[in-house]
Amino acid sequence: MVSVYLQDDNIKIKVPVGTTMKEVARKAGAAMEFGCRVGDCSTCIAHVKSGMTLLNDKNEKEIKVLEMIGGNLSELRLMCQCSVKCEEGEIVISYGL
Amino acid sequence: MLGAIAALCDDVHFIGAFDPKIRTFDIIMKTANGSSYNSYLVRGSEGVCVMDTVKKEFSEAFFQRLELLCDYDEIKYIVLHHLEPDHSGALEELMERAPQAKLIISGRAVMMLKGIIKTDVPFEVANTGKIISLGDKTIEFLSTPFLHWPDTMSSYLHEEKILFSGDVFGSHYYDERLFDDEVGDFAYAFKYYYEHIMRPFKQYVLQALKLYARFDITTIAPLHGPILRTNPQFYINKYAQWSSEEKFRKHEFGNKMLSVFYMSSYDNTHLMAEKIMEGADAVEGIVASMYDLASLDESNMIDLLEESDAVVIGSPTINGDAVKPAWDLLTCMAYLESGSKVGATFGSYGWTGEAPEMLHDRMRWLKFRLPVKPMKIKLIPTDDELDDCLSFGAEIAEITMGKLVEMEI
Repeated sequence: MVSVYLQDDNIKIKVPVGTTMKEVARKAGAAMEFGCRVGDCSTCIAHVKSGMTLLNDKNEKEIKVLEMIGGNLSELRLMCQCSVKCEEGEIVISYGL
Repeated sequence: MLGAIAALCDDVHFIGAFDPKIRTFDIIMKTANGSSYNSYLVRGSEGVCVMDTVKKEFSEAFFQRLELLCDYDEIKYIVLHHLEPDHSGALEELMERAPQAKLIISGRAVMMLKGIIKTDVPFEVANTGKIISLGDKTIEFLSTPFLHWPDTMSSYLHEEKILFSGDVFGSHYYDERLFDDEVGDFAYAFKYYYEHIMRPFKQYVLQALKLYARFDITTIAPLHGPILRTNPQFYINKYAQWSSEEKFRKHEFGNKMLSVFYMSSYDNTHLMAEKIMEGADAVEGIVASMYDLASLDESNMIDLLEESDAVVIGSPTINGDAVKPAWDLLTCMAYLESGSKVGATFGSYGWTGEAPEMLHDRMRWLKFRLPVKPMKIKLIPTDDELDDCLSFGAEIAEITMGKLVEMEI
């Protein structure tokens, strides 16, 4: 199981490989904000403070959206496009409430 | 009749449009004497910059004013401080008439642009610190997101000390005399606009004010209502005051406020509310209170919600739904920040019992933190169930005070 710590909500949730961040947010009752949920609107942009390598790779659309927004791309992800790809480890996420 | 073109100074003019007949704006706002869609034209020694456009049906007045001041081929830049349709309605046509002009928008506006203009147009993204030059005029951009659209930015014209603030400092107030020292008394409209448009984004207002403080501002040119040139600091101070005030004195002592809102038909949801409040209030640092939704009017609901760090809502289930005052309470969140509030729901029920889950779901969409599952009890709570209510209240209170929530999928 991977531990996902949602810093802004102070929630630590253990999830199996393949879990999407949309599921994490819903199950945890987190205040993470989603818009279109398909990677177009950038509402769900968040900082992955650690554990970026435990998440699936960015797809072309996500890279394009993040590049247009600017900022530190090595830390940013669109939460609606993320899922956990590893069995073990800890991911820390802040979405800036 | 267009009337005279209002000048903010020799090289900056109002080219917006007046809408004296509008009575309801954005569905939620009343506009007793209309409004205006302000846009501005800045002339420099090396070209012209158009600051925002107008609502589409007012394009004619906008283009007429613009044409009195410049030729389309002189337009070097078009700046959209945010892309809301009341300011971007004439953008597509303006870009067709001035194809050489470069569109400047914020990063967050990029995706929205495709929804406004269906064809690809050239644009440049502006973040805080980006500067464009019109020769003897310099415009600096400031990222001021969520005021009140995510893509909002502001800009500052250095040589004339004019802040183009977007919707910030706006008023829905129609008066063609335009300047704050010449129009009628628009104080109510200025405050009403803040309360309905900016109040949900107080933290972002304070961030924006910090950016504005870097500049010497002699005129604020907002996108609606009077242009503020007599004492801009007065209006800035008002925004600072409204965005900072903590109404609840107990916050000053480090306490957090937990409010239990309930409605009860046979006293059972009321009994639950009492125990939840009792359990919450026993937690160090929490001040818990309870309110009968049957006796709260909307303005009290808004104030109480704003002051509450945790919002717990109880409703019986009647005909498969939560009661109307509970939904009314949640509609008040449209005027407020919800981001960091903890939420929870409960209720006694006779047959089906959907109300707590329905309210929970609605609160999720309103971005409450909802770490505790809804609590429901069939009709009259037993002593054990009332003990569960105590624990339920205590758990919500502890999470509100910062207890780490641990769970597993």
